[in-house]
This record gives sequence, structure tokens and C-alpha cells, in this order.
Amino acid sequence: MSAPVLSVRDLKTSFFSQRGEVQAVRGVSFDVHPGEILGIVGESGSGKSITCMSILRLLKSTGRIMGGSANFDGQDLMALDQGDLRDIRGNKIGMIFQDPMTSLNPTLSVGEQVMETILRHRKATRAEARARAIELFELVRIPSAAERLKSYPHEFSGGMRQRVMIAIALACDPKLLIADEPTTALDVTIQRQILLLLKDLQKRLGMAVILITHDLGVIAEVTDRIVVMYGGLVMETGPVHDLFATPKHPYTQGLLASVPDLRDDTHRRLTPIPGSPPDMAHPPEGCPFTARCPHAMQQCQAALPPVFGEGQGARCWLHHPDAPKVAGVNEVAA
Amino acid sequence: MSEPYSSLPTPGKVSEAPLVSVRNLHKHFTVGRNLFGPKPTLRAVDGVDLDIYPGETLGLVGESGCGKSTLARTLIRLYQPTSGEMLFDGTDVAKADERALVPFRRRVQMIFQDPYASLNGRMTVRDLIAEPLEIAKIGTPESRTEKVHELLARVGLHRDHANRFAHEFSGGQRQRIGIARAIALEPDLVICDEPISALDVSVQAQVVNMLEDLQDQLGLTYLFITHDLSMVRHISDRIGVMYLGKIVELASNTDLYRRPSHPYTQALLASIPVPDPTATRPSEPMRGEIPSPMHIPTGCRFRTRCPMATELCASTEPALKDIGGGHLAACHYAGDAVTPRAA
Repeated sequence: MSAPVLSVRDLKTSFFSQRGEVQAVRGVSFDVHPGEILGIVGESGSGKSITCMSILRLLKSTGRIMGGSANFDGQDLMALDQGDLRDIRGNKIGMIFQDPMTSLNPTLSVGEQVMETILRHRKATRAEARARAIELFELVRIPSAAERLKSYPHEFSGGMRQRVMIAIALACDPKLLIADEPTTALDVTIQRQILLLLKDLQKRLGMAVILITHDLGVIAEVTDRIVVMYGGLVMETGPVHDLFATPKHPYTQGLLASVPDLRDDTHRRLTPIPGSPPDMAHPPEGCPFTARCPHAMQQCQAALPPVFGEGQGARCWLHHPDAPKVAGVNEVAA
Repeated sequence: MSEPYSSLPTPGKVSEAPLVSVRNLHKHFTVGRNLFGPKPTLRAVDGVDLDIYPGETLGLVGESGCGKSTLARTLIRLYQPTSGEMLFDGTDVAKADERALVPFRRRVQMIFQDPYASLNGRMTVRDLIAEPLEIAKIGTPESRTEKVHELLARVGLHRDHANRFAHEFSGGQRQRIGIARAIALEPDLVICDEPISALDVSVQAQVVNMLEDLQDQLGLTYLFITHDLSMVRHISDRIGVMYLGKIVELASNTDLYRRPSHPYTQALLASIPVPDPTATRPSEPMRGEIPSPMHIPTGCRFRTRCPMATELCASTEPALKDIGGGHLAACHYAGDAVTPRAA
């Protein structure tokens, strides 16, 4: 496999408030390879968005990166100053966020906002930037591209605004695109338009994509590889097909079991995960899923498990060679 | 348009009279201003026919702006309907005044989407849940506290929680408090407006299971409004699909997913992201976006996005008609082809 575009190692981020330290990200490692779509899935508070905001160094003033590295294009993003970061963000790394209304400037035409990005990072005249903006609008399939450059964000629907955001993110041919819940605010038919557009653009432009979402359906549909996060940690990682076919971590299994199967007519009762996620101001010493896990052991409470397994790795003591056999987790039914 | 109170085809399993019967219901809003003409009208609910039967869960799906939340608020009479008929247990409530609505208000309750915004942060859980009982002047303070404890147990919370405030609870727990409040008066109909959309996946299943248990225990009837097409199939007996203020298709849940007959329903179901990477999907997304409810297309309201629209669709609005076995669809061509879309 070729060298990763982005290599994150042992990233730790905390927030500081009157309540004390909240450990949002507690040692996250993963790689993103050229031309792949990596999905990061997790529930609210799992640390998935904070991981990406840390990589981009876009944390709020109360947040601080406590350790780790993120190697991108031969540089450690954690070691760069803000000036160098500004040359990378919007240029080599494109970004799309959940809410296209608040991410766009309401007082500037959308064309101006696309051109702004181009003029910031490229040696181009206004006419060249404008030509590129039209090209980008056509790329993301905004009809009558040249005319729509003059429109303001409020004149666009949610789906069209997200297309504008994608056009801005792609303006400088990024090597990596980070999309944080890009379709969560959109209706299901529009969501599908945007997801298929993203997937198509990724193929044509050959960039790597990190897609952050809580929606297992979205993950299954567009990603190549998945990182499952819980309690500020990567719980399981692997190719999308393996992870959905044979999830190894009890949390991944619980997550998959708690969504209704659309093709199941039997109306069986759902199997929720009992309890609620841990309080990250006081994270448990051992595995953060222990309190909700149906297979929890003494060991789980005592110490944080390492990641077991190559290719598809799970952070779970049940995958330790000496662990007792549990049907469906570390023992495949005959 | 259908005659008021002429019966719609009933679903197979229920034979009783409907609890709620709505005919040609409209709710329009006037918006903005126009100096030289009539004020523009937003037709949020634009001619809905609907029956809800006792004990069933009727799912209502549609995209944002389709009018599903306005319909819910009109059904519970938070809004006064612009026109149309609304029978609740045989009584017309569409034009009734507040005084006449008192018994109706006790029998119909609502669970709201946002468990953070819908609970008063200055009230204890005990006061939140006892409030409907106080308004209805039921019992003494002591008996109400007793009832609160019983309700807390029903929704899976502890009686010690009664003296705490809503902000001390997680989203899922808050939604349980909202549900306890909604069932305090032992209503007949509970309107659930996106009750799980704000919750995490693992918690959604907890709340849905609880709603199903409460329905069995208390004999509740649910109108379940959501944009989550997977969950609505799981929880509903029948499902109505709304588009631009109108119900365009209504069928039993199995029937709707196996045999979607309105092109809009077909497109909607084809858009659901399936949590299975091996699933094969149609590669073309539905084109266009939902038009503004201030400018509803003439004829069939879906024709501007419909892949098979004809001249007939532009000139004549299709009625919601039975295409077999109580499966209703408002499309001129529904039922013509048995399998309109290859799976």
C-alpha cells in the first residue's frame, strides 16, 4: 500500500472549563490512504468531530491538544504555526461542515466566496478565479453556473448551499477532503444527491476523503474503511465490508443491532444498547464501554485494552489470546 | 374532492370506527406583504384526508417543508384549521372554541422533538410531570406526587429523579420525562413529532421499545411523524407519505415498502442509506428539490420532479384512490404497473 496521505498518532485533546478537564480525544491513531474514503462513525460525544477539528487545529479557545502527531504531506500539523496552517487549510486540505448556512458568509455572493479561496491560495487574476469558480459550480452540478455566482447564500436551498461548500472545498484541488456530517441537515433525497456527488468527485479527482457521520447507512454506502469511535477512543477499525459483516467489538455489534433492518418484515423488537455514554470529565480507567457491555469482565474495568488484530482491529480484551470464548464475539459459530 | 365523511378504505386489521377522521383539511398561512394585491399564501396543509384507528400506529413521513409538523399541530388544535373537517371520536373539533375543546385536550397529547427545548429548566421533574394533572384539576398534591412516581417507573426512571431538574439528565432521559408528561392524563391519541431524531442511535432503540411497551400497556394510538424511513417502518402499522401539504400515498407498512406505488414514495425509499455495504442501489438520485409551498405546481404537485410526468399530470390533480387492498395513492398511473420499479 502506498504511503498514507494523513497519519494520525496518539492524538489527545482536552477541553478546560469550570468543571475541570474534559478528555474529548484520548489517544487516537489512524491512517488515511490516497484515493480512499475513510468513515469515522460514532455517537455524539464520541470525539469524532473533535478529532478532525484537532487535525485542522481549529479548536475553540477552551480546547487544547495534549499530545500526538498528525503527519500530512511530510509535515506534522501539530507542530506548524497558524500562518503555515492557513496555507494548508482550504488549499491542500478542503473542509465541509454540517450546516451550510452558518458556514457561508451571508453578506457575500457565493461566487465571491469561491473566488476568495482561489485568490488566497493561487496566483490568479480575478478573471481567472471567476473562470475557475464557474468550472467548479459545473463540477458540483449547480445549474446555470455563471449566473448563480452572483446569488447570495439565502437564495439557495440547503442542498444547493452544500454544493457551494463542496465547490469551495475543492477550489484548490485538495489532497484530502474532510467532511463533517455533510448531509445531516439535508433531506433524504437531497442527502443521496450530495453523497453520490461526493463519491463521484472523489473518484474523478483522486483525493482522499474523511467522512464523519453518526449514520451507519451513510457509512455503508460511501466509505471504503471505517473507524468506530467511542469515549474518545478508536474502538474498532477495518474495511467497511468486514466491519459490517463480522463486527468484532461489542460496541460495533451493539450499534449495528440497534438500527431497524429495512428489509425485515418480521417486526422484531429492537435491541438497544442499555445505559448511556460515559462522562468524559471522569472517563473510566478501563474500557469506556464496560458499563454498557454485555460481555464485560474484571479485566475490562481494570485496564484499557490495546487494539488486537491486523487489518480489522478491535480495542477489546475479548480478543486477547487468553480471553474466554464468547459466541459471536471472538468465537465464530460453527 | 371526496365527500366529507365518506369512508376511506379501511386497512385490513381494523374494523372499528376511526378515532380521528380528517377530510379535506387545509391550514394556510399568509406571509410577508404585497402592497398591490392579496398577501401571498403558504399552503402548508393543502387538502388532507386521513383516518387514524384506535390502537394503531400511523406513521407520517415526508421531507422538510412537506407540512407534516403543521398537520400534527393542526390535529392537536394548536392551529385553527383554515378549512376542512376534523372528527375526534365522532365530535367535530375543527371549529370548536377553547371551552368546548377542554375534554379533547385531555385526550390528545404530544411528544416533541427536542427534549432540551421542550422541558422548562426551572421546574423539577415532579412538577413537569404533575403539571398536566394540575391543569386538569386531577387529585391532590399528594396523589399527584404518587402518580408522578408511578409514571417515572413506567418510563424507566427512578422515583429519586423526581426532585431533580431537566438539565441533570441526558437527552434520552429527558425524552422519557417528556413521554411521562404526555401520558400523565391517560390520553387516547399521542402525536409523536420526531421523538427520536435528536437522540443517538443506541438510545433511539431504547425509546422506541418503550413507546411500543406503553402502547401495549395503555392502549395508546400513535401518530408517529418522522423523516427516518427505517424507524417508521419498524414502528408503524400504516404509513402515510406527505408531499407539499398532501398525502400522496398511504398503505400498511409492509405494503408500502414492498409495493411503493407513487413515484415520490419510490424515489424516497430508493434514497434511504442502507446500513449494508453489499446492498445494490439505484445509481441515479431523484432530481430537483421540493418546490415552495407558496407556489405549488398545478395539477399533480409532484410532476415537476416526476420522471414519468405526462400532460395529464400538468392539467389534472390526481385524487387519493384505492389501488387495491386499502393501498391509497394519488397518482394517475398508480396501480397500472404492478412493479413500477425494478428492485
